[in-house]
Amino acid sequence: MRAARQFGTLIGLVLLCAALWILTPHFLTLSNLVNIVEQTSINAIVAVGMTFVILSGGIDLSVGSIVALAGVVLGAALQGGQPLPVALILAALTGVACGLANGALISWGRLPPFIVTLGTMSIARGGALLFTEGRPVSGFDASFRAIATGRVGVAPAPVIAMAVVYAAAYFVLARTTFGRYVYAIGGNEEATRLSGVSIRFHKTMIYGVSGLMSACAAVLLTARLNSAQPIAGINYELDAIAATVIGGASLMGGEGTLGGTLVGALIMGVLRNGLNLLGVSSFLQQIVIGGVIVIAVLLDTVLKRKHRT
Amino acid sequence: MTISDRAPALEMRGIRKAFPGVVALDDVDFAVDPGDVHMLLGENGAGKSTLMKILGGAYRKDAGQIRIGGRVVEIESPRAAHALGIRVIYQEFNLVAHLSVAENIFLGSLPTRWGGIVDWRALAIRTSHLLQDLGMTLDPNALVAGLGLAQRQMVEIAKALAPSSAMASADKPDAKILVMDEPSSALTSREVDRLFALVERLASRGVAIVYITHRLDEVFRIGRRITVMRDGRHVTTRAIGEVDVPELVRMMANRDLSEHFPKVRVARGAELLRVEGLTVRGVLSDINLSLHAGEVVGISGVLGAGRTELARAIAGADRFDSGRLFVDGKGARFRGPADAIASGVGLLPEDRKAQGLVPALNVARNIALPHARRMATLGVLPGRCEADLAAPIAEELRVKATPTQPVQLLSGGNQQKVVLGKWLAGASRIFIFDEPTRGIDVGAKVEIYQLMNRLAARGAGIIMISSELPELLGMSDRILVMHRGRIHAEFSSADATEENVLRAALGLASPALSDAALPAGVER
Repeated sequence: MRAARQFGTLIGLVLLCAALWILTPHFLTLSNLVNIVEQTSINAIVAVGMTFVILSGGIDLSVGSIVALAGVVLGAALQGGQPLPVALILAALTGVACGLANGALISWGRLPPFIVTLGTMSIARGGALLFTEGRPVSGFDASFRAIATGRVGVAPAPVIAMAVVYAAAYFVLARTTFGRYVYAIGGNEEATRLSGVSIRFHKTMIYGVSGLMSACAAVLLTARLNSAQPIAGINYELDAIAATVIGGASLMGGEGTLGGTLVGALIMGVLRNGLNLLGVSSFLQQIVIGGVIVIAVLLDTVLKRKHRT
Repeated sequence: MTISDRAPALEMRGIRKAFPGVVALDDVDFAVDPGDVHMLLGENGAGKSTLMKILGGAYRKDAGQIRIGGRVVEIESPRAAHALGIRVIYQEFNLVAHLSVAENIFLGSLPTRWGGIVDWRALAIRTSHLLQDLGMTLDPNALVAGLGLAQRQMVEIAKALAPSSAMASADKPDAKILVMDEPSSALTSREVDRLFALVERLASRGVAIVYITHRLDEVFRIGRRITVMRDGRHVTTRAIGEVDVPELVRMMANRDLSEHFPKVRVARGAELLRVEGLTVRGVLSDINLSLHAGEVVGISGVLGAGRTELARAIAGADRFDSGRLFVDGKGARFRGPADAIASGVGLLPEDRKAQGLVPALNVARNIALPHARRMATLGVLPGRCEADLAAPIAEELRVKATPTQPVQLLSGGNQQKVVLGKWLAGASRIFIFDEPTRGIDVGAKVEIYQLMNRLAARGAGIIMISSELPELLGMSDRILVMHRGRIHAEFSSADATEENVLRAALGLASPALSDAALPAGVER
């Protein structure tokens, strides 16, 4: 049934592409398709972390602010003359630390994920603004910008990064105990606890993964813009949640797949691109995307209800 | 006058209700007159609550007829039951903690002015009238969150009896039938006195009262008639003067032993588990027990006696305040379920859906869940290791499903086997089975009994908590009976009969414990 659901989302993506192909000749060109995937890569990577969190029955509203904070840390480190690997590690540590703090407050503090990550959303944003005094940090070496501009064959570097992240995350979810516990905690926390699994430790790690994904996205975004901005990543949490739920994950936890999330992120990317090509105003675009989210989840719910009776 | 004046307030005829795998009610008749205080008795699982849930509109009956005041009715929802004047007070309270007493009582029908503004003065007046009328001394403005159990009980009763609106109209009559499901279980004896005074007052006004209880002393204090149920059937209905305690117990317990228990006794081996002085404040006091290899120790008791709490404390699921555990004679401290599992303790929880299974995960992954860490290298699970672990277990248990099927699609019996499989797959030697056969069909039950035999023969020890006396008597080597958080009596399999186990579970004097029998109906 899970496979069937994912298939449904994929059909949705194919139908959407077909419609846009008919409506605009510019849509189905290699350069445009590569462009879409490249545009999608940042949201898709943030959505990986969101998928871990949502699978475990939680929510992470702080991802966009963590993107900004990790980005300005990265930018400041580079401008301060740190070698690239050191700057990347500092950005990753920033993201992971924010995520682990979220997770620790949720597991040990027994606070609702919504509240904790809402707080972190504001704190990390404020931290990024304070750290940079509200100004962007820009002007980096070509070696750093290559993270966004480099290509392997036709594939832009961000697309390669996205592929690597998805492969690694897929392996973790499918083949490791951690991945199994992510599903189990979201599916039935008490049964998982009674099976001897430390809920607190694993929940904390799950939010740590989300923080790490935000840091990855921050690296790509900073390289693309050639600038680290404290106001970057606004509304990223909503895009990531949308990709995850369009991909078939249940906000109750325990159900969903990474493949679904990737397709969900691509649907949003294709939709934005297609609407731009068609010259649809950005105001109307928001309405269309909102409608797609609701319709996707509505279809899912209706199908599930049918399946159960 | 009209027929409804002479007809019983409530008449249920030929009521039948089946759940997947179990017939919960089989051709049950039940009638209550206006002004009657009718005691509904039976063991756990006899069908009392199911019958009342049908009356209250929470369940739909499969067959049968219900008449209210002589008129045939269909009760399709709790709302429909309410409109017929039926009020059910369930054991779990349905109060909003952060609203006041008055707001809770009139929650569905707050008096309003100008189409939507709550008329607080009218609410206060109405509430104080109602409370006065019922002889309750509650503060209408107190928050429910700050009330004790007894007071919350009073609020529930007041809520049930509150007039639906200022003008009690024909389509929303006041309470005619009041069902109370073990209302006294959380009350002190003085609070019980107040409750009984209220029950008497309501009955004298012609309300038909159905009172479910496990406390036989109450039966004789306020009951006017009794109905005994057993195994989903109606056993008898009598006036209170026609029965005494021993007869009542016999009627509740006695049954045709048609079910077969394939008990195989094995020699008792070394001590696996010893519990000394285990106490959880307010829940369990000074529990002592031991479990040996090859032994099945049954634990009996009514709901709320502390059986499940004991199981969870031993399995590391809940903390306890004092007491010690010994595994293989050596002191053991379980900081959580993981420690208990490492010591060989496997808990089959009471509610398999809420505590035993991850519904969306497949059979193999559920079985392997407690063992995933052990099988993994650096956190990576070798390919197919879960399926390889689960396959022989699923085969031994005859789980009728493929390893890749999500367990939410399985029947109750197969789900229970999957939970059992979690512990068979490991090195568990101390099994704690909490209601292992609840809600599963007879075939699967017998398979679980046979599994218990095999486990005992392999040198495991089993603690079996069950509300089904025949099963407990049929499968246990010893039976401990719990009552209000204590072990109240212990019987060897030779001494145990349904009657004396049930007497002990009800808190009555037990010949096995004391020589001087207490008078019938007196709590120890």
